[in-house]
Parts: sequence; C-alpha cells; structure tokens
Amino acid sequence: MKGWNKSDMKKTIYNMGYFLNETKTIIKTDLLSNIFSLLCMVLIFFILSLIIAVWRISMYEVKVIEKDAQISVYYDLNLDNNSQAQLVENIKSISGVNEVYMVGKDEAYKRMQEILGDDAQVLEFFDNNPFSPFLEVTIKLDNMNPILESLNKLEGVDFVRDNRQVLSHIKSIVNMISLLGFLFITAAGISTVVIISHIIGMGIQSNIEQVNTLKLLGAPKNFIAFPFLLEGLLLTISGGLISSAFGSLTLSYIYSKMSGPIPFLPLPPIGKLISNLIILLICISAVLGTAGSIFGLSSSREKV
Amino acid sequence: MIEAREVCLKYADGTEALKNVNVKIENGDIVYVTGPSGSGKTSLLKLFMGIEYPTSGSLTVLGQPISKGQTSGINKLRRTIGPVFQQFRLIKGRTALENVMLGMRFLDFNKDEIMENSKASLKNVGLEDKISSLVENLSWGECQRVAIARALARKPALILADEPTGNLDRDNAVRILHLLTGLKDKKTTVIITTHATHLIDGKKGDMLIHIDKGSICYERLE
Repeated sequence: MKGWNKSDMKKTIYNMGYFLNETKTIIKTDLLSNIFSLLCMVLIFFILSLIIAVWRISMYEVKVIEKDAQISVYYDLNLDNNSQAQLVENIKSISGVNEVYMVGKDEAYKRMQEILGDDAQVLEFFDNNPFSPFLEVTIKLDNMNPILESLNKLEGVDFVRDNRQVLSHIKSIVNMISLLGFLFITAAGISTVVIISHIIGMGIQSNIEQVNTLKLLGAPKNFIAFPFLLEGLLLTISGGLISSAFGSLTLSYIYSKMSGPIPFLPLPPIGKLISNLIILLICISAVLGTAGSIFGLSSSREKV
Repeated sequence: MIEAREVCLKYADGTEALKNVNVKIENGDIVYVTGPSGSGKTSLLKLFMGIEYPTSGSLTVLGQPISKGQTSGINKLRRTIGPVFQQFRLIKGRTALENVMLGMRFLDFNKDEIMENSKASLKNVGLEDKISSLVENLSWGECQRVAIARALARKPALILADEPTGNLDRDNAVRILHLLTGLKDKKTTVIITTHATHLIDGKKGDMLIHIDKGSICYERLE
C-alpha cells in the first residue's frame, strides 16, 4: 500500500461496501475451491491450536514445578531433637530456601502408600518401616547449585536428593514440543500462504476481464487488488475462528477427561487458556491471510 | 493536447496498423475519425489510451508521453480519459448504475458526487429507467449507452469513443453524438471513430481525420 494518503484512506472506507460485494462475487465465482480452501484452513488451524495448547500446558507444568522445586535432605539419624531443630534453622538461613518441613518415618511411609495406590500392598512385605525421616526443603530453582553446596557443608547432613533429573526431563520434553510446534507453525504458515495465493491467483484468472477493464479505466493497483486481499483474509480468519471453536471444545473435553484420572496434574485455568488461544489463532490467521494474499497478488502482478 | 510525430504502429504479427502519423489535437477539439473497417481507427485510439505503444515516433497525450516504461504515468492519464470501448467492457452481474459508478470510485469524487453524476449520466443517455437493470439484461444499444454514461460521468478531459453509435438507432445515435459534441463547451476533447459519416454534424473548427490502410489525412472543417 505504497504512497497511501488521507484521501486514499477515505476512498477505501467509503468503497468498503463495494469491496465486500466484490469479494462476495469473487468467492461465489469459485465457490467450491473456496469451500475446500476454507476446510484446509480449518484443519491446519485446528491442529495448530492443539499444538499451541499442548505447548502452553507444558510450559505451565514446568513453571509450577519450578516454583515448587523441592529437595530432600537426609540427616544423621543419631542427631537428637535439639540438633535436628538446629539443622532446620541452619537450612532456613540459606539464601534461596523458602520452607523447610520435617517428614517423619511414618509420614514418609504414608506418602509412599499414596503414590503406589493399589500397589501399596508391596510395602507389607517389609517387617519394619523401611523409610527414613528427612527434611523437605522448598527452594528457588535458580539458586539450586549454591543451596546444594551449602547443604552439603552443613554438619549432620548425610546426603541430599534433588529433582534435577526430573526437571531436566520435563524441560527437554517441552523443548521438543516447542521445536515441533515451531516446525508445525512454519509448515502451517507455508501451506496457508500457498493455498491462499493459489486461490487468489484463480480468483484473478476468473475475473480477468473485470481486472482488465479496471486497468483500462486507470484504477490504481490497490483498488483492483483490495477485494482479492479481503478474500484471502476472509478465508484465513474464518478458518481461524472455526478452528478456535473446535479447539476450545476439544480442550474442554480433554480437561473434563483429565480431571478424573490424574487430578494432581496442575493445569492452567481453561478460560484463560482458551481466550489466549482464540486471540493467538485470529492474529496468526490474519497475518498468514495477508501474507498469502500479498504473495498471490505479487505472483499475478502482471495481470493486476 | 495530443501530439503525434511520425508515429508508426506495427503489431507483433507484422501487421502495420499505422504509418507515419503526424497530428496535433488541441484541448477542447471535437475530432471525428473515419475510415473503412480495419483501416486503423481503433489502433489510433489504443495508442491514445496507452494500450499500445508507438513502434517508432513520439506521442504525447495530455502531457503524458506514451511509451514503454511509462506505466505509472499512463495509468494516471487513463483516469483523465473517458473511454467508450467498441465491446463496451461492462462488468457482468452488476447493474447499469453500478457499472457507471465503478468507473468513478477511484477518482477524486466523493460518495454523493459519484451517485449524482452516475444517475445524471444515465439520464442523459436516456437510461434513467434502467439504472437498476443488470447489464446482461440490456440490449446492445442500451449497453453501449451505459458505456457512454460511464465515460461521461467521470467528467474526463478527453473522451475516446470507439464507434459509440455502432449499435444505436438513428434517433439515439444523433442524441449521443449531440451529447458528446456538446462537451466542447466544457473544454473536453472528444475523439470519435465512426463508420456513420452521414450522422456527422461537424461544426466549424471540428477536425476530421480519415484513415486508410494506416495512413491518415486530416482537415479542419470550415
């Protein structure tokens, strides 16, 4: 839209009714192709919405886990109560430690029973409680290394178990999802641009007489191209809207199914997740629609 | 003003449409271009519209040189021209009014002017009762008048009318020619190609160009 001024803008606004009518006519001329293009858009954006949702949920998981990062400190069992209390105070004074909670032998046993669920009967094979008491330390994840160093220096500490491996596993899964998401967004972007530019090329071909007449009447390129640009935008934004509706329904269904069997899995609030997803999909579809239309128009620049 | 110096036009297939055309048309001139079919009348108008470029020689229309590489200038020039095409070039699926309005939408007219000028032009060509008719439902003569109305509504500096009376009955042909030549008072240059020499009601100062096999001769009416 090179060299646009206020007057051009005004003309575009009062010609909007004409442009929309033209777009309707262009779509009607190649109705079947436009319907199939719309279906392609819906499918592409639907898969994209699911990938984005999975990625956002994974990011949320990591954040939650990082926020509540816990390490277990096992101490010398010969320590008396006073020494244990002193150890707790010493740990609390380490920078980056949020909370210290003492888990006794019985609680450790109960926790394992809860984790094992139906398989908890395996614990009955032990004559005595096999678990040791420990200190559950909630820390800021960024400070994990200096905290571990400080803990290992403390008197009475036998060994420290951190969850670094679990976290790094989850992080690598998220990274993989991000990479897959990025690859899919790229593929979806290219496919959308190709489909839209192709449908615009067909639209121009079907309306070539009208395009030529407008050229002979001296119509500016922007004026001739605008209805085709609207066609591309209409297809992608409609595709984005329909797919976000399907995506929302699918996510609601998945949430309802997940809340039963795995209630401990922290999930982001569904309302916020869906509203963000809809906004993101509409923005992506608008950008891809514009890009596809411009690409289609520049491919047919000799005709327009 | 239109000025052609030694203009030749040769099509890609080797057909020599115009040979050494030298002509100077002043603003506000009424010009009748006559000649047998295939003599080069339409080619001359195509050159004036910048649809074709001279193979040799120089041509300037309203100050705009017509040559390759002048696309942007030629496009601007076309906005000051009211063309009436031999094949009308109306947009199907649109009404007569929509077709006339379409020719003005990208020009410097506001919304009300577009509507008023379009309706007035259709009235001037006798189609006030057909403004809402789709062009495919109009007769050839009516389509021709819509094309003329589209050209007039643009209030152009130059009208290029290719056989504007070709599909009209005598009364309507006279009416249209009267309408076009009446634009002289508004300093509009009007160039009309026609077979119907018997309908020409030339006035003093009007120009008569005769083309035969691509060569032209012209005279000013006394």
